[in-house]
Amino acid sequence: MQGLLKRAVRLGAAAALAVAMAAPVAAEAAEGKIHVALGDVPSIETLNLLIAVERAKERGLDIQVTPFKSEDVAAQAVVGGQADVGVGTPYAMIQKVKAPIRLFYQMSNLRFFPVVDASVYKDWKDLNGKEVVVHSRGSGTEAIMKMMAQRNGIEYGSISYVPGSEVRAGAMLQGNIKATVVDAANRRLLEEKAPGKFAVLPMENVNATDEALFANTEFLEREADAVTVLAEELMKTWREINANPAVAAELRKKYNLLPDLPADEEGEIVAYYTESAESKAFPEDGGNPGAVKADFEFYAVSGQLEGDPASLKVEDFWTFEVAERARKNLGQ
Amino acid sequence: MTELPRASFNERAPARAAVAEGDGIAVPLRAGAERAGDHVFWWRLASIAIVCGAWEIAGRIPINYAFPSFFETALAFGRMIADGSLPKAYVSTLQPLLLGIAISAGLGIGLGILMGLRRTAEWFGAPVFIVLQSAPVAALIPLITFVYGIGLTSKTLAVIALALPVIVLNSYKAVRNVNPSLVAMARSFLASRWQQILRIILPDASPLIFAGLRLGIAAGFIGVVLAELLITPTGIGDLITYHRSVADYAEMYAVIVSIILFSAVTLSVLQKLEIVLFRPEQREAGA
Repeated sequence: MQGLLKRAVRLGAAAALAVAMAAPVAAEAAEGKIHVALGDVPSIETLNLLIAVERAKERGLDIQVTPFKSEDVAAQAVVGGQADVGVGTPYAMIQKVKAPIRLFYQMSNLRFFPVVDASVYKDWKDLNGKEVVVHSRGSGTEAIMKMMAQRNGIEYGSISYVPGSEVRAGAMLQGNIKATVVDAANRRLLEEKAPGKFAVLPMENVNATDEALFANTEFLEREADAVTVLAEELMKTWREINANPAVAAELRKKYNLLPDLPADEEGEIVAYYTESAESKAFPEDGGNPGAVKADFEFYAVSGQLEGDPASLKVEDFWTFEVAERARKNLGQ
Repeated sequence: MTELPRASFNERAPARAAVAEGDGIAVPLRAGAERAGDHVFWWRLASIAIVCGAWEIAGRIPINYAFPSFFETALAFGRMIADGSLPKAYVSTLQPLLLGIAISAGLGIGLGILMGLRRTAEWFGAPVFIVLQSAPVAALIPLITFVYGIGLTSKTLAVIALALPVIVLNSYKAVRNVNPSLVAMARSFLASRWQQILRIILPDASPLIFAGLRLGIAAGFIGVVLAELLITPTGIGDLITYHRSVADYAEMYAVIVSIILFSAVTLSVLQKLEIVLFRPEQREAGA
């Protein structure tokens, strides 16, 4: 009797597990609605996107923005159907998983700065055989350092991983590390805290997409109009901010975005967008095949993409229809 | 004066002898046990087959583009063994794990016993460990990094933070719940305090202490994986993060399943070891 009961319980448990594993994730399918999955918490760097979203809302779209812990999780949410549009560069996922996902709007170019302790290193050649610190294995920061090593014909002694630009900047200030790569905000921080102590190594012709929008092809067809409206607002906002970076801070106030931002960081907004505009970090066309080719090269070095970059087809990863429609509607 | 504790050991002696002598006595018993064992073995195998089969089906439907099938995962596992990345990751993960568990076991059992024996130690220690046990330690791990940086120390501390409270509290409860009539008996036979502790209290408490140790080690596995995912990616945590970031989901699942299996096997080996070494009576009954 007891044996029977045990068996029944075991079988029941096995069956429950099988059902749980096989239960498909229910996909949302509401019209005129866009659920955007952010790969990071909203910050100064995503302010321009948030502004464009507010403007798209004013034009009648129902957009919901959800921050996820990392880009991978955001991309998974899009693949799984819980979110419609993701933010990031999921090249690896598109290539390896064969998910019907396409990138459709290029929002920003990757901008990182290789920083070294000026008292120890002067240029790239000095880093031969030395330790460099990057964000993580397979990250854009690692790809930048690897690419520059290739171009300068050097090889690092070792590559260490310390996640977080601010953590690496802190370690540079403390002198724990001598060579790393940080983002714009932390480069400024290093220059402010220790003027002249650090040098930024030259980095030419390393172009890659940092953030782009991507979605299911099926969603892009079904919600073509809504996505085009969003793309138009992105394009308008980008052009406006590139022409006058101070607008970013004004629009933040107007739409009451990032309400928790400390007052002393408000000045950072204009500084960030001024610098980004100067270095053309925010493309105004929403993406083009040339930029994607550059991405292939870059992400092949980072390990995200497999195979010869020259053999990869742009149309397997990108669709430019949305950006083209938006450009046409804006008359440029 | 020491008659009684000896008697208690003598009681166990025949059982031990039977085990040591081996087959003479145990054969008839074992024959029956083996038949039952066979039965259990097939059921277990069937249960594993059902889970793997369900996984394979789920992977083939597929329930999600990022969800690999069982065979893809098994292949990825083979590849990672072959290229050495998985063994290398385990070597790196085992450092904080073993260090943390060794410290937790030594310190935890010692503290727990002390807390069971002495009221002052109990008042001092119990609240700390009860709070630590109920705290969501994953949320505290970033705090550890503020103080101890991002190296081995932090990861070891993360293991200890998860493993220590369980071990301490179980050892403490074990000692506190020792059969009072045994202790009273020892006292009536004029056993000294040390004799009471070594011959009555600890043997009677040991099953619960071992149970706590096993739970602690299971918690230690959680701690080390959390640390490697939350502090800096090394070892197993690095393989999980890296393969996720480059969308090698089969590899990612292979790593996750391997650490689950590793933890499960370690725990069941420990349980077997405990029975063989310390619990002759259970060995007879439960073989």
